[in-house]
Amino acid sequence: MIRPVLARRERVWPATQAFAFLVGIAVALVLGLILLWTSGHNPAEVYERMFDSAFMGTDSLSRTLERATPLALTGLSVAVAGSMGLWNIGAEGQMMAGAIVATGVAMMADGLSGPLLIALMIVAGVAGGMVLMVGPALARSHLGVSEIITTLMLVYVAIRVVEWLETGPWKDPESFGFAVIEPVPEQAALPGLFGRANIGMLIALGLLIVFWLAVSRTAWGYELRLAGSSPNTARYAGVSLRRKILTALLLSGGIAGLAGAVQLTGSAARLESGLSNGYGFAGIIVAALALMRPSGVAVVAFVFGAVQVGGQSIQTLGVSSAISDILQAMILFGALVAAVFFNYRIRWTGPAVDSSGEEPEEPEEPEPAEDAA
Amino acid sequence: MSEDALIGLFVATVQFGTLVFLAALGELIAERSGVLNLGVEGMMAMGAVSGFMVGLETGSPWAAFFAASAVGALVGGFHALVSVVLGADQVVSGLALTIGGLGLAAYVGRNVVGERPETLFTDLGIAGLADIPWIGEIFFDQPPVVYLAVLLGLVVWFVLARTRLGLALRAAGESAPTTDTAGHSVMALRSGAVMVGGAFAGAAGSFLSLYMAPGWVEGTVAGRGWIAVALVIFGAWRPGRLALGALLFGFTLALQPRLQSFDIELLGVQLNSISPALLGILPFVLTVVVLVIISWRYRHRPSPAPAALGLPYRREER
Repeated sequence: MIRPVLARRERVWPATQAFAFLVGIAVALVLGLILLWTSGHNPAEVYERMFDSAFMGTDSLSRTLERATPLALTGLSVAVAGSMGLWNIGAEGQMMAGAIVATGVAMMADGLSGPLLIALMIVAGVAGGMVLMVGPALARSHLGVSEIITTLMLVYVAIRVVEWLETGPWKDPESFGFAVIEPVPEQAALPGLFGRANIGMLIALGLLIVFWLAVSRTAWGYELRLAGSSPNTARYAGVSLRRKILTALLLSGGIAGLAGAVQLTGSAARLESGLSNGYGFAGIIVAALALMRPSGVAVVAFVFGAVQVGGQSIQTLGVSSAISDILQAMILFGALVAAVFFNYRIRWTGPAVDSSGEEPEEPEEPEPAEDAA
Repeated sequence: MSEDALIGLFVATVQFGTLVFLAALGELIAERSGVLNLGVEGMMAMGAVSGFMVGLETGSPWAAFFAASAVGALVGGFHALVSVVLGADQVVSGLALTIGGLGLAAYVGRNVVGERPETLFTDLGIAGLADIPWIGEIFFDQPPVVYLAVLLGLVVWFVLARTRLGLALRAAGESAPTTDTAGHSVMALRSGAVMVGGAFAGAAGSFLSLYMAPGWVEGTVAGRGWIAVALVIFGAWRPGRLALGALLFGFTLALQPRLQSFDIELLGVQLNSISPALLGILPFVLTVVVLVIISWRYRHRPSPAPAALGLPYRREER
């Protein structure tokens, strides 16, 4: 019987992942089209509305950038852990933890001037995100407990704590019985740039650049990548794996916490259980599509920001905004599949033919493509 | 605390236990074959919404249950295609499955939110046994899915431990090349295991939407799929221990909404004065604590996890 097997390509195009991302977008659009069409909508009309609301005009663009900001930050958070092979899938919760601590600071220090208060809140956000990460990070570094599950479990903890604060200790006395927390002080609003975009965008961009420099241009970054790709080599080279795991995860948590503080001071009026809004989970997809690279995170976050703004806008056409979640997941699936075919080709073979002696033995990890974007 | 409240707590323990047991049993099958599927939450959501919609349409809980299983298998098949057949990263594919599955479930179910089905699973009073005080109510007056889950647990144990198929499946989870050399198709074994696992998760989802919390709203799975993933670790990849763990987690899940009505004082704190939102963190904190304790116990021993768990296998690369 002749059957297909996947054989590694000897030569892989540069910028493979960028093409895979484009294929992913195409796949998602086609599948979305089928979904919209079968549920009685006019796909052309829906897509046109999505495109217009995300890209046409400065106001639309500013909305896309506003959404891209937390996505870039959570994407970066996941990428920091991911660059050494760890998965922080709890950025959603760390975002909340960051926003909680930042709110606490704002309540205590609401007499401070704007810039000082904002700076304090952002530091508090980083601290909050790190606090939620301490447990999973220590458990991973010292006991090898899978960080995937522990970080995720704490998402639910953080969200419940916000719900508790809303109904109890921090309930706004002037809210007429509604369970809401009082808004952050007016002077704690991040300065706007244009439309709905604010300084938070620049913070995200700056951090992406810093992270890119740190990972690709410093010994620290090299050790981080080494510890992720070949832990044994790293250990022989005298790198403390435990410390690397701890720093990578705590940094990851801190950045997600910062995302929470930026969201609180930038776009949200107050701390509420919907503040993280799925950004932390979407950040996982962003980082995975970007292959954990900062340049990729920026591009994917922008596209996802557009998809989300588009998803919101089509509600007026009677289309559920859940479409944007589906599109994001489909982009990832499409890109995953495309990347396989970019790195492997199908070879038809009979049973027990070759053991491919001439092929270089190289398990897992496809060859790194040159640049993600 | 009244006797009725206590019995109610244990009845709910068995039901919540069944919910996470079914989903975790499916994940156990997939992981024993070497495939990590982090899409349980998404598969459960798809099972919950499709099961509920079929139940609404047909009025038959069983039709709904099997439809949900089929949908779960289909969604699981997607993970199999991407991560087993094509060999893409299992973590990424599984996470995408959860996010996409939750989104798709929300989209598919957008028109049935708030509807109530006519017929649901009803409790099965087993003649003679159901009348025993305490025990009868807790163990012998439950919906049929509870007994089905026990049966499935036995079947899975038997197949894994006592049959050639189970041996091949476990071999695929320990060393794919060896299994291949022995003449088994790793791809078929793993894909099959992932799809059966999906069916179990889908079934668990429909148990949620047809019995435990009748109806469909977004977020109805609420992390139980993730608890199921953790439960497999707790159960050391063995069905028997999995059942014990399921009861423990079932207990905390059942305790949380009920603690409010209990008039107990613990360590000087009046339990019913604690906010329900805070009590809601209990199962999730417990999961983390339990995982830490287990890793502590295994710190000097090899992990009981299947050796090839999470590693894709491509025939070319042997």
